[in-house]
Parts: sequence; C-alpha cells; structure tokens
Amino acid sequence: MATIADLRQLVSDTKPEEAAAMTGELLAAGHAPMEVLEEGVMNGLSDVGDRFAAKKAIVLDLVRAGVTAKACIPLIQAAFPEGEGAKIDKKIILGTMLSQHNIGKNLVSTLLSIGGFEVIDIGEKNSPWDFYETAEKEGADMIAVSVVFAPAMEKFTELIDLLKEMKVRDKYPVIVGGAVTSKNWADSQGADGWGAQAKDGVALARDLLEVA
Amino acid sequence: MGKFLWEAIQRSTTGPLMSEEEFETELFPTVLGDLQKKYRIEWDPDEPCMIDPDMADAIFQAGKELLLEVGLYCKNTKRIIKFSQEEIEEAICSAKHEVTLGHGRQAITLKPRAPGDEQHLYTFFPAGQLTTDVQLYKNHAITVMQEPTCDGVIPLPLFAVGDMKNIADTPASTLVCLTEARIMNEAAAWVGKPGLFFGIPMSATTPLALMSTFASGLYNKNNCTLPVQILQDMRVDYDRFNLAFYAEQQGIEPWMSCSPTLYAYLTGPEQGAMEIIAHTLGMLAYSGGTLTQAMSVSVHGTYVGNDISWCNSAAGLAAERNLKLPWVSFGMTGNPAGSLSDDNWYDTAAACINGCISGMEALWLAGGNTGLEARWAGEIARAAATLSPKQGVEIIKKINAAEREPNPPAMKLDELYDLQTLRPKQVLVDHYRKFTRIFRDLGLDYPTWDH
Repeated sequence: MATIADLRQLVSDTKPEEAAAMTGELLAAGHAPMEVLEEGVMNGLSDVGDRFAAKKAIVLDLVRAGVTAKACIPLIQAAFPEGEGAKIDKKIILGTMLSQHNIGKNLVSTLLSIGGFEVIDIGEKNSPWDFYETAEKEGADMIAVSVVFAPAMEKFTELIDLLKEMKVRDKYPVIVGGAVTSKNWADSQGADGWGAQAKDGVALARDLLEVA
Repeated sequence: MGKFLWEAIQRSTTGPLMSEEEFETELFPTVLGDLQKKYRIEWDPDEPCMIDPDMADAIFQAGKELLLEVGLYCKNTKRIIKFSQEEIEEAICSAKHEVTLGHGRQAITLKPRAPGDEQHLYTFFPAGQLTTDVQLYKNHAITVMQEPTCDGVIPLPLFAVGDMKNIADTPASTLVCLTEARIMNEAAAWVGKPGLFFGIPMSATTPLALMSTFASGLYNKNNCTLPVQILQDMRVDYDRFNLAFYAEQQGIEPWMSCSPTLYAYLTGPEQGAMEIIAHTLGMLAYSGGTLTQAMSVSVHGTYVGNDISWCNSAAGLAAERNLKLPWVSFGMTGNPAGSLSDDNWYDTAAACINGCISGMEALWLAGGNTGLEARWAGEIARAAATLSPKQGVEIIKKINAAEREPNPPAMKLDELYDLQTLRPKQVLVDHYRKFTRIFRDLGLDYPTWDH
C-alpha cells in the first residue's frame, strides 16, 4: 500500500507520472490533501533542494522536481473539501524574475490558490515591466515575486522603482522570496513582505490584503 | 574567420528544429551523460587538479563527440547547427598555435607550453576598479600596469562616465566603452608601456558597441581582441557570427571564450571539462580564433574549490595535448573579501599554480583588487613555471589546508595606495611580504622577494 513517504521519494526522484498516480492513490485512500501536499510533495521538493545545496543535484533536477510537483498539485487541489478553498476576492500577480526557476513560485501559487486567492501566474523569465503591465491589465491587488539568483535581485529593485515611477507603488503591496533573498535585503529594497518559505506567502497575503 | 562560418549560418536555417527546452533538458544532458559514462570520466573530490594524461585525452574525445552529436543550438532560429566529423577535424588541423598580443616592446607571443616547461604563464591583470569614478578607474589601472610582471590587462567594466550610466543597447554604452579604451591607452602610456595588450573591451557587450569602439581605433588589432564567445551549454546566436565576421574583416584576433556553469545543467567538473572542449571546437569552426579563454563557475556562486580548479585544469590539459591553442584560464578568486584577506592571496596563488601544471599559456584577471595582488599573481606564475604536476598538486593541497586568518573588512584603494604617488601603503606591503615568506616556505621563490 502506498505511503506518504513513497510519494516523497517519487517527488525526490523526479518521476512525474508515478508521483501523480500515487497522489491519486493516497487521496483515494483517505489521506488529507494538506498532508499529501506538505509531507509528500513539499518534503520531496525539499529533499531535492538539500541535494542541490550539497552539489549532489543540479538545476535540471530542480526543474524536473518542479514538473513532478506540478503533476501532483491539481489532484490535491481538487481534493480539498468544499468551502476549505473558499474564494477570496483578491487577485495576486505571481512570477519568477528573470530566471527559469519555478519550484518555489509554483508552490506559492498552489498554496495561495488553496488559500482562496485568485492567482495570475505569469511564469518564469519575467522583467519588471511584465509584473507591472500584468498587474495593471488584470486589476491586481498584490504582486509576488520569486527571486532566485543574483541578477534578479537588481531587477527586483527596478520593479519597485518602476512602480514608484508609474505612481502605482501604493496600489500594489509587493512581496518577495527565493533562495538568494533575506529579510534584511527585502526590507532594504522596500518590499512589503518577505517569505522564507512558500507557506509564508499565504500569511503575508492575508495580512497585507487584510483578509480576515 | 572560421572555416565553417558560412556553413554554420546556412545550417542555422536548415538544421533540425527543436525547442530550446527540449535541447537543454533532454538532448544535451542525455548525450553528455552517455559520453561521460562511455569515456569513464570521473572526478575525485579530494583532487584539486586533473593531471592524468589519459583522462585528458578521454575528455578531449568526449568533448569532440559532444559537438558532433549535439551540435550548436541557434537561439535565433531554434535550429541545430551540426558539424561533420571531417569538418571538426579540419577545424582542429587548421588551428593556429601561436598568437602575438600587444605591440612594440610590450608584444608577447603565446606559444604552446606543456606542464613543467620553463616558459612561464603570461598574466593579464584586472585593471580599473568597478566604479563610476573615472579618475579612480585610471589610478587603479596605473597601479596594475606599472607592475613588472604585467604582461597585459583586462579592463574591468566602467559603470558610468560622470552622470551618464552605462545603459546597454544605447550609445551610452559605446561612450563608456570608448572612455574605457581611452583610459587604458592613457594609463599604459603613463607607465611607459604603450604597446600593452588590453584583452577585450569589457564595458560593452553588444556587437554595435563593440564594433563602434574598434572603429575609433582606440582599441585595435594590435592591442585588443574581439569576443566571439559561445553561449551557455552549446548555444549560439547571430551576434556570435556577426562578431566573428567583423573580426576577420578587420584583422582582429577573436577572443574565444566559454564559462560553463557547474550544477546548472552540468552534473560536475567532468561534464564542465567536456563542455569546454566542445565549446572550443565549435568556436574554432565558426570563428577560426586562436586565443582561447576557458574557466568554470559554479551555480552556487563560487570561483574556487576543487571542483572548479579540477574542471579548469582538466580542460586545459586536454587542450594542451590535443589542440595546442594558446589557452587562458581564470587567475583570481572572485572573492569580495578584500586585499588584506588571506583567502584571496592563497586562492589566487592556487589558481596560478593550477594553470602552470595544466599546460596553460596565460591567466586572465590574474590577481585581486590591487596592483600588488596582480604582481603577486605574476610572480607566482613565474615561480611555479617549472613545477611538475605532482609538485604543483602537493603545493595546492597545502594551500587548501592552510590555516587562514578571518577576513578583515574590505578596504578602498585610497586606504591601500597613496593616490599621489600610486605606491602601495605599508599595510599592503606587509601583507604581500607575509605571503612571499609563506610561499618560499612552501617551496616557491622569486628573485624580487625580499625576506
């Protein structure tokens, strides 16, 4: 019989089809969706992250792990009971600045969606203008930025400057997170919030958007 | 110009179509992994250098097959440019093995050198601080150029000229690059070395700005080269081809370079070394260059460590035995710790010794933040010239095991140099002397080291 630990291993081994199948099995067997997400998918992703930090995995493994998580997440989302993911009338623009990394961003997207927010995921390799333009077009309430390598840090600063220059800085709370960021850095750049982990994004959004 | 530039351009419109994602996540890593297994290329994490001639030859063969099987991915057209076995062999056979850089009394000719040869590595020092202050930039360049072991320099990028920021893709970038070139010429004249080699223009990256800078004559075929560097993981774009053709038209030496990023799409230094060879052969095919710069970096942001140095030495030795192109690797640490840190001085020396025992011909950006650190790199390169690979590895292992003082706060140039006389202050001289004593005890010595 499949266990949560097995799912964690499949995510860690970056096997999307098998991981998705096992996610279905675990949910059908009565495991709570949040348990499957946190202990199976997120812990599996953490394992890949730990291997990467130890130079035992490469960026390509992180990308594949992201693909694996993405295969599991829709099943988990669909399994949340009615009402638990009740819609909140707040729209959040979410994307990765410059780079193609998407694991953290995808997790934040999932957790925000589960939390009831409407997420406009603009994907990877974005410029500051992409965030601004989409926020304006979509009538967003907040911008969330994933910054995972050094050149993107500078671009985050550009985004804050751009929002000021376009006189919309007060309109959009901006939160940031990612491997190379820190609270001190985020504060110094004028971010409204910084998250160390994906789940922090939900708390920040609820707080900044004053969702009860 | 490369023997196959026109073929490359043609094939960029006719070669197999593939999405970039499929190329980078499927084709490239699969072939790379298979070739690594086929040739049994393995790195021992305890080893800082690759000195095994048989493995060097295996790396060369694997790199050659990598280019043959994967080809170069053209970002403009999403097509793969392939070269045949015969074309790759022809590019290798027609490669030149010597290059003269600089002119007049400062001209130097890089010729093939094997590990242990008496000929020392040439050292090209970083000149001009990363700054927006043009006078400070010039002062820094002078402190570096005046050193007797300075065989050439690599200008550091200027961020601005006065209020004019270096904005890419605008004439501002050309203006800043022209200023860089003017200052390099002025500084070289000031120190009495007007024929010095200035490496590559560093304040501009676009073909337009580069070509405009060369059109001024401040940088020219006698004092500078033109970058035609390949892009990450077997990728090219039309800028590479335009620059290669311009270099040929103007008689400018192409600067062939590649910097594989370990742990991004490469699993480690073994694949990094294979990729450097494949990249070099690709650049040889489309640019016909001679001078080759190759260094690895880590996606974790470091320029030092056994993995980095092993990769650099493995590629260097593979090229020395099979290509004999004038080979340049990285001679500094990229560590922001500052001029009085032990880390910078130890790690710079390790990079220089690694280059010596791997059969390289030169180091670029050799040294650290000041002229005296640059001098140090030049002296180590000379003192280590005749070391056997085994002797060199022993010294590098001692360097890596050495106890180091905690890094002090980084100091500015005016705290380390008298900016009126442009001589180093005592605090920096004392640090230099400390390290000359340490390295004499490690078995290296240099005539000017006064103990």
